[in-house]
Amino acid sequence: MTDILRQHAEQQFAEELHELSQADTRTRPPSWKLSPWAVALYLLGGTLPNKFVVSPKYIGSTRLIEIAIATLATDRALLLIGVPGTAKSWVSEHLSAAIAGDSTLLVQGTAGTGEEAIRYGWNYARLLADGPSQQALVPSPIMRAMQHGQLARVEELTRIPSDVQDSLITILSEKTLPIPELNSEVQATKGFNVIATANNRDRGVNELSSALKRRLNTVVLPTPSSIDEEVDIVQRRVESLGRALELPAEAPALEEIRRIVTVFRELRDGKTSDGKTKLKQPTGTMSTAEAISVVTNGLSLAAHFGDGRMRANDVAAGLVGAVVKDPVQDRVVWLEYLETVVKERNGWKDLYRACREVSE
Amino acid sequence: MAKSTASSPTIFGIRHHGPGSARSLRRALEQLRPDAILVEGPPEADDLLPLIAHAEMRPPVALLLYVPDQPQHAVFYPFAVFSPEWQALLYGVKHDIPVRFMDLPQTHQLAIELKLIAALTAQREQQEASSHQPSANSEPQAAIYLDPLQYLAEAAGYQDGERWWEHMVEQRRDARELFAAILEAMTALREALREELPDAPNPIGPQREREAYMRQTIRAAQREGYERIAVVCGAWHAPAVAKLPPAKEDAALLKGLPKIKIEATWTPWTYSRLSYHSGYGAGIESPGWYDHLWTTRDHVTIRWLTKVARLLRKEDLDASSAHIIEAVRLAETLAALRQRPIPGLPEMNDAAQTVFCFGNDLPLQLIHTKLIVGETLGRVPAATPMPPLQRDLEREQKRLRLPADVTQRTLDLDLRQPLELDRSRLLHRLRLLNIPWGAVQRTGKVKGTFHELWQIQWQPEFVVGVIEAGVWGNTVLKAATTFASDKATKATDLPTLTQLVDRVLLADLSEAVPAVMDRVQAEAAVASDVQHLMAALPPLVNVLRYGNVRQTDLSAVNHIVAGLIARMVIGLPGACASLNDEAAATMLKHLTDVHHAIGILQNDAYTSAWHGVLKQLSDQQGLHGLIAGRCCRLLLNQGQLTASDAAQHMSLALSTANEPTQAAAWIEGFLRGSGLLLLHDEALWRVIDEWLVTLSADAFTQLLPLLRRTFSTFSRPERTQMGEKVKQGAGNSMQPHGGASREAGSDTQRSDFDVERAEKALPLVMKLLGLEHDANR
Repeated sequence: MTDILRQHAEQQFAEELHELSQADTRTRPPSWKLSPWAVALYLLGGTLPNKFVVSPKYIGSTRLIEIAIATLATDRALLLIGVPGTAKSWVSEHLSAAIAGDSTLLVQGTAGTGEEAIRYGWNYARLLADGPSQQALVPSPIMRAMQHGQLARVEELTRIPSDVQDSLITILSEKTLPIPELNSEVQATKGFNVIATANNRDRGVNELSSALKRRLNTVVLPTPSSIDEEVDIVQRRVESLGRALELPAEAPALEEIRRIVTVFRELRDGKTSDGKTKLKQPTGTMSTAEAISVVTNGLSLAAHFGDGRMRANDVAAGLVGAVVKDPVQDRVVWLEYLETVVKERNGWKDLYRACREVSE
Repeated sequence: MAKSTASSPTIFGIRHHGPGSARSLRRALEQLRPDAILVEGPPEADDLLPLIAHAEMRPPVALLLYVPDQPQHAVFYPFAVFSPEWQALLYGVKHDIPVRFMDLPQTHQLAIELKLIAALTAQREQQEASSHQPSANSEPQAAIYLDPLQYLAEAAGYQDGERWWEHMVEQRRDARELFAAILEAMTALREALREELPDAPNPIGPQREREAYMRQTIRAAQREGYERIAVVCGAWHAPAVAKLPPAKEDAALLKGLPKIKIEATWTPWTYSRLSYHSGYGAGIESPGWYDHLWTTRDHVTIRWLTKVARLLRKEDLDASSAHIIEAVRLAETLAALRQRPIPGLPEMNDAAQTVFCFGNDLPLQLIHTKLIVGETLGRVPAATPMPPLQRDLEREQKRLRLPADVTQRTLDLDLRQPLELDRSRLLHRLRLLNIPWGAVQRTGKVKGTFHELWQIQWQPEFVVGVIEAGVWGNTVLKAATTFASDKATKATDLPTLTQLVDRVLLADLSEAVPAVMDRVQAEAAVASDVQHLMAALPPLVNVLRYGNVRQTDLSAVNHIVAGLIARMVIGLPGACASLNDEAAATMLKHLTDVHHAIGILQNDAYTSAWHGVLKQLSDQQGLHGLIAGRCCRLLLNQGQLTASDAAQHMSLALSTANEPTQAAAWIEGFLRGSGLLLLHDEALWRVIDEWLVTLSADAFTQLLPLLRRTFSTFSRPERTQMGEKVKQGAGNSMQPHGGASREAGSDTQRSDFDVERAEKALPLVMKLLGLEHDANR
């Protein structure tokens, strides 16, 4: 165990990647570490001929992962869209780890992301001393990915101002990055590509220009389709997070996770799981990622302040925090849900009481 | 004996409507060069086979076999250009090789089915509880019979039988070896199933008889001396016809089968119908895609995605050539990733969704209906034998330039144009014959009486309806006329008859008019039910209203209308006496409809007679409040009563001596539909107000639901205004409408209102509102 709080995908799953590359005999696209088939196996999980078990990284539609990998193999850039918490960044990180062996060439998109984060910046001391030169240039992650034929990741593409977004167009279509100051350019090495993620909820913030859109293949990541799938996701993530955080608590019971996932799904869909009652929806996204954090939070509460077993009152505070993002509107939604659904449900009395206590 | 082995037939087990099988079959036939071809299909249609090569024949088409006197019992055998059967037939006809169908004739199959239905109906009559149906057999083996390849594909780990098939077919060079392999697989499958379900009842019809007949047909062909016989049948039957046991058993099995007279014809079909379940087993999900696979020799992926792009472009979605390039590359990479030799439909759809639609799945639905299923409609040559009525219909369609199109469209007919008038007549006649090619949208209201809006969409099954209607006559006109006359003689009540009059006149069936009119006249004379008379009037009035546009003879109608109104006016007061609440509500509706109809007629004699009876009713003692109230209102609307008369009537109806429920009903009858009257007429407002105030607490509670019902028919703004009026205090009205406010104004003006100061502000207000200041105010 290292002291690193969170390891990169390629470090955490180094063994799996190694085994896969050993077993992988299929053709690999230029500078890919694995063949597309092996990349799919890495993300979706499976068993190798030598009985080595590869854990699934993405639980959901095989089709979507295949489209994503095929897109990258055609050297077109990939855009992953989804509501917050649908594993966009997670998929993008693991794709880069499996394909390029490096998931660290990352540009985080914010309203303040400037052109130098996408193209290149200058080391001003050198610039002033020597004038524009190759040594004064500070390459961006994307520029480095181009030079070494690797995958660059752009997170939250739609948060980046439109004019900065558009500097990606030349990079994506002509695979070159001109440096007019030095009268030179960087030409992308084979294997270079970009994975961008964007948020459904932010639609219209900085809408992509159609020129840029045309250069991206879009894959929409949905929220998990069934409750079992979602419970599975939460459980796997909680377990691995618990291990990383070295929580002494015992692994949470599947029942407890199922309850939390049910609450999340019902509020997200605006109706009860039996489809009989309509519910008001809170302003938050109620994503799977938040469900995971509620469970981990409960787990650590149980470990440090309780008896090590996660119970309803360990979860309650996290749950209320996840639902009630707007103190007025969401509070009404939550109290209504508590009174009409949670209170009535068999075996949920403890959860009701615990939530009631926190919500008062 | 050596001769018999030489002539043993070559069996081609195929998948119905599989483009892959069609292509392999075609290749195999060219290798084999058979001298006779036997195809699974109804032998009754043998005479129709030469038409396949006719220049005007355009698949998709279907063989239609029907019982001439009960055409609702019919079977369709659809063929697309990519159906292996079609290709086999076409090959035979083009190369002058004898081609025959070899399935058990529908003469027997339909007869067996009819017997079964009769038996089941009898059984059901005996025991009502039974819900057993012949075709609703949901046992798993039914699915295997229908689509055995699917079963094998699933065993091989594929989701889609056709895909599995295509892979097996595309990857093989020697097509004949392939068919031998299929034969083997099917034999194994059938044996396995026989062990698993030894006595399984046959879920889909007389299987054993069918296969026996197929073998008999093969034997007959062998006896005729054909040496290289090609047998094309569904893969499932292949093992059964491959070995020929002694003919005796088969002959015994086929003996004494019931028979029924059958006729056969070709009829146009559509790709969307192909995706249904019909004559040839399971429907297919993507006929448009198969058509593409069949017609496109090379660059299947590129051509398909180009089609998609062009479709999207037509719908104003961005889809450039660059998009197509990227989509093709993605589809091909995906296929490679999924270890498919070439991209299939799922890869195409994934690529289209990702590249063209930015991950959105809505445009995919468009692609599905327009391309994957497709809207192609086939065509049959004019020489096809068809019932005279259908032929006449086709002539009419050609003459009126109204092709039988399967896409839905709207037709705006201007009835002043002779051609468009004829179109309208044709559509009306077909509607009368229960062939709903077109549906009338609202007519007249916006564009005047000479416009008629139709929503038309042809369905291939209408052919059955046309054949069915053939019993009534040989032309559309004749059939519709006979049908209408027959319906008229059978109809027993007046409203049905008058509705028929309406439809007959719209369809311009001048020969049927006298018969129908006579019936109406006769029924009207003896009809004792005034409500029937009342219901009969509006359709007739409609006829009169549109009559001159449609150039129909209306004197007969006029005559009947006069008679109807006279009888109604006499009978109405009696009919309205002592009605209960429910009957009163029905009467109210009739009253309103008739009133409207008489308004349309604009005939002074009718109108005054009607007003007379309304007046009589409104004064009648013991009349249901609903009717009385409505009569009063109608008279008021017509200006036959002044507002003060109405107020008098109202206060009379609301006086305490009357039952409160009757009073409430009166209000409902008077006010229902519009509350504007109350808002504008101060006198009426006050009568109601005073009545309400005098109600006892108990009576008020009792009446509240009734009143609420009335008031809820008013529009929201009306109710709001009323509420405000009540809030201001009854009669405290500063509203500038009419004389009533002036009348009420003086006694309710508030004492603390300073007129002088208010008037000082007026000029400024006027200026703000942009009005000239009127000094006299």
